[in-house]
Amino acid sequence: MSAQVSYNMATKQVRYEALVKALHSDLFRYAYWLCHDKHVAEDLVQETFLRAWRALDSLKDEKAAKSWLITILRRENARRFERKRFDMSEYEEAAITDTKSTSNEQEIENYWLREKIAQMPEEYREPLVLQIIGGFSGEEIAKQLDLNKNTVMTRLFRARNQLKEALENKDIVRGQYNG
Amino acid sequence: MDDLQFRRRIYADPNTRDEDMIAAIKSDPAKQSFTQELEDLDSKIFKALNVEVPSDLSNKLILRQTLASHQQQKRKGRVRLALAASVAFAMGLTFNFMQFSTAYNTLGDYAIAHVAHEAGYFSNTSSAKVSLASLNDKMATFNGSFASDIGQLLFADYCRFDGMKSLHLVFQGETSTVTVFIVPHNDELEFSANFSSDKLIGKSQHFKNSNIIVVGDKNESLQQWQKMIDESVSWSI
Repeated sequence: MSAQVSYNMATKQVRYEALVKALHSDLFRYAYWLCHDKHVAEDLVQETFLRAWRALDSLKDEKAAKSWLITILRRENARRFERKRFDMSEYEEAAITDTKSTSNEQEIENYWLREKIAQMPEEYREPLVLQIIGGFSGEEIAKQLDLNKNTVMTRLFRARNQLKEALENKDIVRGQYNG
Repeated sequence: MDDLQFRRRIYADPNTRDEDMIAAIKSDPAKQSFTQELEDLDSKIFKALNVEVPSDLSNKLILRQTLASHQQQKRKGRVRLALAASVAFAMGLTFNFMQFSTAYNTLGDYAIAHVAHEAGYFSNTSSAKVSLASLNDKMATFNGSFASDIGQLLFADYCRFDGMKSLHLVFQGETSTVTVFIVPHNDELEFSANFSSDKLIGKSQHFKNSNIIVVGDKNESLQQWQKMIDESVSWSI
């Protein structure tokens, strides 16, 4: 029996490590866009994976792993707010740190866009992050966020629309400066 | 598909490609370039969303889990150890209880059992002799001493008398050995002045710190032995 237990433990360990390696980046990015803080994001991911380890036996379908982990992470994030009610201030521009030097124009644009995404209302940003980083379909996002699909599609539409307009306006502003 | 519907769908998901969409894109160069525009936007958004992930994060996650499950194992181990210890402790208690609890109620019963148990070890014709001095050495433990020999002493040593350290003396008797126990007072066993079994008889005498018990066969005059002991023994405290 003990051998069986340690065999199960070993398989569980392998599964867990595979899960960490495959999904920790996506999960970290998702967490980052939820809380806008690298350290908090890291904590969230740590908590998420620790819970995932404890409940790993309940994950039957490996394909569902990502949405399973995101569900855990969302719950962890909600818990964080229960613990420290609005201790985290609303988004501040200074909190978004630029990790790479803004050496070229593309990086500058990247940085600028990152700020715009951060300033976006959460209800628009979250489906967008789930779609682009998570690679989820409209139905999956709707299920994850407990919304109906049309609402999700509308929010995705508005999110892109806002960003597109912002980018176009930026170019106009820059054009005026340059001209 | 009208233009508004097309835009709504392409905005919501630039990668959406069902038959309607494919047809719409093919038929209209404007829609084609618009799709391209949104794909470009998406790749920009993708880049912007792709914040740098701490390089050691996956190692940290694995390490933390390993530590956590190690702790858990340790806790489980501790519980198991505690259980095993409790069982061992209970077994030890039971064993002790059975080992040292008195199966005998009186001094006499125990003395007879003790003598009967060791009957084979001593022979009445043995030439062994223990000197008075070495007997008194041992008696010192019980704060007593003998003034003179009270008989041919074949054997003298400490023994466990129902768990108590006592002195076990074997004397040459009329037809078989006579055993004398010097036993400290004890509440566990009831004092019995006279006792006997089918072969053995015994007498106990109460002294200041100890009881002296004489056991011999039925030919023995235990009264005589008691008298001699009484005259010879003295107690220092």
